[in-house]
Amino acid sequence: MENAKINGSQLFVLIVLFEMGSAILFNLGGEAKQDAWIAILLGLLGGILLFLIYYRLYKFFPDLPLTSYAQKIMGKWIGKIIGFLYIIYFLYIAARVLRDFGALLVSAIYTTTPLFVINTLMMLTIFYAIHKGIEVIARVGQFYIMVIYLLAIVGFILIISSGEIHWGNLLPIYENGWKPIFKAVIGQTLTFPFGEMIVCTMLLPFVNDQKKAKWACLGGMILAGINITITVIINISVLGVIPLSRSSFPLLNTIGRIEIAEFIERLDVFFMIYLVIAGFFKVTIFYYAAVAGSADLFQLKNQRIITYPIGLLILIASLTIAESYSEHVVEGLKYAPYFIHWPMQIILPIILLIIAFIRYNKKGSSPSGEQGNQGNQGN
Amino acid sequence: MSILSNWRKNKNKKRQNDNYRQELDRQKPENQVILRNIDENIFRIKGELGNSSDLVFRDFKLGSLRGTAIYIDGLADNQMISDFFLESISDSKVDSNQNLFEVLMRKTIGLGNIQTITNWNEVFDSFLSGNTLFFLDGYNRAIDVETKGWEKRAITEPTSQLSIRGPRDSFTETIRTNTALIRRRIKSPNLWLEPMKIGTVTQTDIGIMYIKGIANEKIVKEVKERLKRIDIDSVLSSGYIEQLIEDQTWTNFPTTYHSERPDIVASQLLEGRVAILVDSSPFVVTVPALFIQFFQSPDDYYSRFDISTAIRLLRILSFFIAFIGPSLYIAATTFHQEMIPTTLLIAIAAQREAVPFPAFVEAFIMEVTFEILREAGLRLPRAVGQAVSIVGALVIGQAAVQAGFVSPVMVIVVSITAIANFSTPVFSMAISARLLRFILMILASILGFYGLLLGITFIMIHLCSLRSFGIPYMMPLAPFSLRGQQDVFIRFPIWAMKNRPKFISKGNLARTGENQKPGPPSQGQDQTNKGDQG
Repeated sequence: MENAKINGSQLFVLIVLFEMGSAILFNLGGEAKQDAWIAILLGLLGGILLFLIYYRLYKFFPDLPLTSYAQKIMGKWIGKIIGFLYIIYFLYIAARVLRDFGALLVSAIYTTTPLFVINTLMMLTIFYAIHKGIEVIARVGQFYIMVIYLLAIVGFILIISSGEIHWGNLLPIYENGWKPIFKAVIGQTLTFPFGEMIVCTMLLPFVNDQKKAKWACLGGMILAGINITITVIINISVLGVIPLSRSSFPLLNTIGRIEIAEFIERLDVFFMIYLVIAGFFKVTIFYYAAVAGSADLFQLKNQRIITYPIGLLILIASLTIAESYSEHVVEGLKYAPYFIHWPMQIILPIILLIIAFIRYNKKGSSPSGEQGNQGNQGN
Repeated sequence: MSILSNWRKNKNKKRQNDNYRQELDRQKPENQVILRNIDENIFRIKGELGNSSDLVFRDFKLGSLRGTAIYIDGLADNQMISDFFLESISDSKVDSNQNLFEVLMRKTIGLGNIQTITNWNEVFDSFLSGNTLFFLDGYNRAIDVETKGWEKRAITEPTSQLSIRGPRDSFTETIRTNTALIRRRIKSPNLWLEPMKIGTVTQTDIGIMYIKGIANEKIVKEVKERLKRIDIDSVLSSGYIEQLIEDQTWTNFPTTYHSERPDIVASQLLEGRVAILVDSSPFVVTVPALFIQFFQSPDDYYSRFDISTAIRLLRILSFFIAFIGPSLYIAATTFHQEMIPTTLLIAIAAQREAVPFPAFVEAFIMEVTFEILREAGLRLPRAVGQAVSIVGALVIGQAAVQAGFVSPVMVIVVSITAIANFSTPVFSMAISARLLRFILMILASILGFYGLLLGITFIMIHLCSLRSFGIPYMMPLAPFSLRGQQDVFIRFPIWAMKNRPKFISKGNLARTGENQKPGPPSQGQDQTNKGDQG
């Protein structure tokens, strides 16, 4: 593992960028129709509960990432298998996000450019960031969050002054009762984006102030949740429910509606800037988690050795993960949440936490003492 | 690879051997001291200097003993030495019972700072740096008198860093003048100057200047260590030192700051930075240097804060224009025509219709032409320079458009970029934007805005990974420091800039006292006399 430290505010910025990430681009909670924003807020609540589980695990082992403490909790071999599964999982999501992002660029703007070129160039940039380490990534985040907020504020003012917002589109609330909302929460908003906080189990050991870590994460989640909610509300009220459900990239369509004085129009650049920044951070953080995890699991002193092979894996996976964009979306919305996200984000961490409680709390010994002993045995 | 390293090793070994042998010769006890016989001493000096013709020997007689004064013509003050001989030595009558060496010492006191030397190595150090040596037959000592007085350039107005309200003096090539210019501004005993000599052949004088108690001790120590580590034959300009002590060579951005203005250096010292003065260079290097510092001009602090903030924002904007101007044009016209408002697009398209090149080639040709013109204009003698600029204006403007090589829009883009580039106050930062501009142009021509954005992200990652003497290069922005924001995009009023930047200086942070906000006298009694501070 890298010997670097980030501070509370840097973690906060990374969490905000990571959580907002690609979630803003898609029709999140679309099953709940005009109530999508409720589904997102409920997803946020569930996500906070999930985070508290991860945080409790972190409190047991403040200096260790998930891949290490899984071995302490479950024993060496089962723990190693779990750690390995998580590395694969991070790799998989990184590849998914890269594909999402590349496909978006190809279908919306670069219709004649091959996906391979778009993804490769993105991956090269990300590779450079990973090469420079978590400190540099966090600093770039601090810089880019200002850019994103500037864009968001300008875009918000422009869309309001274009007179495209129709609040009526949000009504009626609870048209079809709670069922579709819960379906959207369980099937989507809980696991994407809020359950993806599982990645913070790999980042928290890098934070120099343990007390601030909790509030940085919670604050980041809440701020990102609010931002996503505002975006979804604007999307619904600008586009309307039915056009929204047909649109692959609602935010792009919403921005396309901006038109002021026949001069300020087609602000696709805004969308693209956001897209590149968000895609960059989301892939980078998953990629980093995978790299740090493997360095930890295979006890590599220099994690730079595996940076390149893992990056290549992500790139290839992002291209071969699905035949077409629609297949990719169906996989992502129908199967991934139940068969991949739920076990990795919710079930496994709960099992780990229960066993950790049984092992460390019943004996009445402090986990740090245990940790030291086991560390010696391991050596 | 191995051949190369072997060769290098051998070369190093050879060099070490040479040095070692010379060192051994010097180390022999009979070679280390000044001899009693004056003829032998003179013979030896002449031999070691190869009978150089600018070496002057003036013989004199003191009582019964022969003596010689040795100095280098041009380095030592001729006038002073002649006066000394005329008035003091020639018509002196001395009692031969006295210790004649003491007599000589008493007489030379009038010339300047004196000291007695016995070691042979000091002999050369002495007169090669402008001092005069007095030998007296029969004594194994010599008197070293400080008579430095070579032709100096007068203090003139700065030529590369201009300011409207700032002082008009600038550094010269003499280190002593430069230290005096700084000390005149900071009359504090805490302003420390540590001398050093770098360059095995040139023996260049270096001065490390900092304010004790404000500068961070760790940085001062680091600077000294990096300077001590330097092993090079010559230091001809502060640029040598700069390149040998910077944190990273593989970067396009300057991680040390240099200035020819004493007021800038003084203000940097007051913020806790360390200045490195190099003899024979009118540019003083200061470290650590942060990215945002290259957009701060001295005028920002001499005019009121609202105006200086606006101008600083303008400067940052123009840096961005210089950085991405042509690439934005290329990206918009080749990939994203839909983002240009229709009427403007029609105007551009109509102009570009007759141009035979794609936008990238067009932009590239124009930019390169302009860079050539600029470089040529810089090197040409002043009388010819004007002719070049007229030819340049005609070639890259009028004629190129009329011949149909380039579109008028392209000329506009290139000229705006060029002018914007000149508004960056420090040349070393402006030139890095000039270089990176071409890379961004290539990226924009391959993938439009996407390529441009990735290029900018790449540069951002690079900038965030840089350090200058251990301080993160993008410091008040990333890592973000709320307190540091007082002098970044917005220049706070002087009374509101209460503290020195915490990340540079350590310890004594307070810059202003309490209650410094000026106001009209009616507001309160205790503020009546502070109205003139703003």
